[in-house]
Amino acid sequence: MSRYAARIYRLAYGITRSSADAEEVVQDVFLQVVQKGTGFEGRAALGSWIYRITTNVSLNKRRGKRRELETSLDELLPRYRADGHRDGDRAFLVSDWSGTPERELLAGESRRILEEAIDRLPDHYRAVLVLKDVEELSNDEVAQIVGDTVAAVKTRLHRARMALRELLTKRLGARA
Amino acid sequence: MTCRELIAILDDYLDGTLPDDLRADLEDHLANCVPCRAYLATYRKTRELGTTAARVEMPDEMRARLRRFLRDKLRGS
Repeated sequence: MSRYAARIYRLAYGITRSSADAEEVVQDVFLQVVQKGTGFEGRAALGSWIYRITTNVSLNKRRGKRRELETSLDELLPRYRADGHRDGDRAFLVSDWSGTPERELLAGESRRILEEAIDRLPDHYRAVLVLKDVEELSNDEVAQIVGDTVAAVKTRLHRARMALRELLTKRLGARA
Repeated sequence: MTCRELIAILDDYLDGTLPDDLRADLEDHLANCVPCRAYLATYRKTRELGTTAARVEMPDEMRARLRRFLRDKLRGS
């Protein structure tokens, strides 16, 4: 139980961003596993099914919640000039905070900025981000779990990362 | 290659899945574009940070509650 519980919780928390909601998701998913019994072809099928059901239950739980925090992703993507170069203030375009030590970025005010940026992503973008980057699944596996094409998953991942980068650069860039 | 084209294929570049000719074009652009170098560095860091920040572990007390929950459900079924 313990191995699956940890995975389910990580994914559920990653999508719902709420410890209480994630706990309810874990309970719902385990109940479904118990009810489903031994009707699985093997461990791999079970793992994949658990990810799929966890994603669906988590997204359902989020439906209608905290919409005010979410931002249209289009507003957070890079803007371009007609010639294909990026548009915007030069200081922002060359801002590079990547040299800040990770322990500093993952603590205090920077950590809060990072958590807020993750919160602002739409739920289904966070879902692919967690499945891919935290659970370290392949694009194929993520596509099967979320019921989309590999190309759509790659696009969603890229847009999520670009939006996160934009939010972080707006807040951290000025401090770097 | 423009900045827009470079940014569109950054994940493939970082994953090491770009064909050689496209990778060479991208690296040529990077050599001459300060904003794209900054973009690449911060994009790469964002990928790393997102992975670490989104990795949360189930609290021990929640694990214990889950065990009790399942035990009660199984007894009741």
